[in-house]
Amino acid sequence: MAMKPEEALRAIAAARGDAVCVPTMTTAPAWRTIAPDDLSVGCVGFMGGASSLGLGLALACPDRRVLVFDGDGSLLMQLGSLATIAGAAPRNLVHIVFKNGVYHTSGAQEIPGGGGVDFVQMAKGAGYRAAHVIDDVGELKRRLPSLLRDEGPILVELHTGLADKTPMTDRGGVPFPDQVDRLRGRLIAS
Amino acid sequence: MPESIPAPLIIDTLKDTFREARAALGAEGVRPRHDHLGWILSVPDTHQKTVLAALDKERALRVLTCSTEDEANAIAAGLWMGGEPFALMIQHAGLYASVNTLRGVAMDGRVPIFYMIGLLQRERDKEPRESRHSMVRYCEPLLDLFGVPHARLEGPDDVRFIPEYYRLAQKRRGPTAVLVGLETA
Repeated sequence: MAMKPEEALRAIAAARGDAVCVPTMTTAPAWRTIAPDDLSVGCVGFMGGASSLGLGLALACPDRRVLVFDGDGSLLMQLGSLATIAGAAPRNLVHIVFKNGVYHTSGAQEIPGGGGVDFVQMAKGAGYRAAHVIDDVGELKRRLPSLLRDEGPILVELHTGLADKTPMTDRGGVPFPDQVDRLRGRLIAS
Repeated sequence: MPESIPAPLIIDTLKDTFREARAALGAEGVRPRHDHLGWILSVPDTHQKTVLAALDKERALRVLTCSTEDEANAIAAGLWMGGEPFALMIQHAGLYASVNTLRGVAMDGRVPIFYMIGLLQRERDKEPRESRHSMVRYCEPLLDLFGVPHARLEGPDDVRFIPEYYRLAQKRRGPTAVLVGLETA
């Protein structure tokens, strides 16, 4: 049975420490319940921008881990970001791709290539320092300490089922500009 | 008649602009995490290629070449949240390619993104709005449609618009742009 994204997010929340997190699309509603803090900023509405938003944060704050919770469909919209991230080589960036094979938010249409797209090979080809597949929450829990410690950029292709909620079925949360202000306030004060 | 602007003048102006930005951040108690003054997020622009070439030798500014302008906008938002000064160097076609990110990040997200946009193929003897090239002709009207304040760099004296529009972006918490009228020298 496929890992629930909520299980993965709970495991990450328990281990993340003071890492900045960038959820997008179907990870966003669950994350704001699991980790209702102000060290996160969501990416909804700018079409695959989570990896780049995370890159900017990682470059600005090299002393802090940045975790991007990307989607497979989202990453395909900005696939060139793999090369941009690899070129910038942020040691503190972990790029977690929640791979479910569909555009869940818009009605679960299959992504181009379906579940066969290999983001691990793409990340390695782009020049990420490491890339792994994880398809079990137990394995995720075991590997989180090293993912939070090892030099990045690291990509994790996380095989999951569908989330319980999407940004369309569970609207709300803190508006994006307020999230931006809140996180900036925390980061520049630290 | 418009004139080309020498690359060193643009780079020195950007350095002064970022020094001022760092000083303002320092006055707020923000400690610098980097030795360089700021970031240039670039999707290479033929019109500003002499600036990009000169930036290769520049240590005080860090250049990050992005695959797309969408990425550059989102990276800018991350840098801004971390207290880092930056400018985006793109061309008009890249602006058209990234209008959703301009909207979602710079406008809706209220991120002060300062753009330097090259008007590739702009005719020396024509106002851009009268250009026979649609990619030149639509740039200023598009910025007007989105309510993005902009100025044109038509010669060396106009580099004063770089710090002015950078400051304006911070003040209005949103995008501003300067348009590079002729290919830089």
